[in-house]
Amino acid sequence: MTTMDQKNLLEMFKTVAGRVDKRDFPNVTAESVITELGIDSLSMMQIVGEMETELGVMIPDEDLVELVTVGDLCKKVGQRVEAGA
Amino acid sequence: MTRVDSKSPPPAASPGKLMRLEEKLYNEYIQFFEKAERERRWNVFEDIPWSTIKTDASEETALCAETFLSVEMYLPDYVAGGINVVRKYFGQSWFQANWGYEESKHSLTLMQYLLRSKKRTDEQMFDLQNKIFDKVWDLPFHTARQMTFYGCVQEMATFVIYVKHRERAAAEGDDCLRTIYDFIARDEIAHTRFYQGVIKVLLEEDRAGTLADMAHVFANFKMPGVDLVPDYDSRILKMREAGIDRGVFIQKVYLPILKFLGVSRHEMLAAQKQALAARADAKAEGETPKLIVAPHLNGTPVAQA
Repeated sequence: MTTMDQKNLLEMFKTVAGRVDKRDFPNVTAESVITELGIDSLSMMQIVGEMETELGVMIPDEDLVELVTVGDLCKKVGQRVEAGA
Repeated sequence: MTRVDSKSPPPAASPGKLMRLEEKLYNEYIQFFEKAERERRWNVFEDIPWSTIKTDASEETALCAETFLSVEMYLPDYVAGGINVVRKYFGQSWFQANWGYEESKHSLTLMQYLLRSKKRTDEQMFDLQNKIFDKVWDLPFHTARQMTFYGCVQEMATFVIYVKHRERAAAEGDDCLRTIYDFIARDEIAHTRFYQGVIKVLLEEDRAGTLADMAHVFANFKMPGVDLVPDYDSRILKMREAGIDRGVFIQKVYLPILKFLGVSRHEMLAAQKQALAARADAKAEGETPKLIVAPHLNGTPVAQA
């Protein structure tokens, strides 16, 4: 996974999060803690689901509970894209 | 497929379908009740090791027990609201009566714990009771199906919380409190299983409509004590220190419920999209989220009790 790919995934996160939560997330970085963004757990599930659908991948349920930062999510998604799953 | 919108009334179910549904719900209740009578009954006065009660338990431990007690003490409102919304269905209404009996034991036991451990006085208990009865718990949802799923999520969340506190009591060598939380947690998971059984039946009868109701409940779910229990916010901070947070909700409540019901995460998310969009709209406009009209078991929404 290249840095560029992670940047793309971060931008994708901002777009999808904005769509789900109906507000902008201009200052989000890979280090941003998800719960500190004011995104609740259910909206987060929706964001993950939409990213999975758009990229045609599936993150295992057990991995979802380990996500703390936006970077964690982008990394998990990136790994699934690389693995083609 | 049942279409869910806010304008047209939901379609009525046929008499044959209702009879089949009622038979299935009755069977769910009989299985629940038989297991409760044969394996799960416990006695507040004889089965708790009261002689081992710790009078030096921390104030934090007492505060958590008092918070559980406070939430359980809205029992009159839970019973009145809950039983009226399902009174047409034998299995579900008899379950509500049994549920009320079991929950009443939970609050009595927690009250006994606080008094016998000398963490609270009779006067403090009366004071708490009066504060609690000053406010009324209103039904958060208004159809039998939505309330059934609300019950499922709420009981599962409560089970998880009691298990956490049971582990904590065990680690502190508090056998009395561990036993209390053990009995209560066992009851809560039994209630969850009943609700899950009913939801499985409802999914078989009307998958799209039931999924829409599940999504609506998930999107607007909050625990019954919120906005009611005195000093709820500060109490919740203490509960979170014991390991109860939103991540736990997804891991121990949301995902296990979906797995048990045979609903995939993506199937739920598709149904959830509409419910979350409605919630986000309401939030953006500073409004309280509106209820989506969803099909009721017999095709008509139930009036608030």
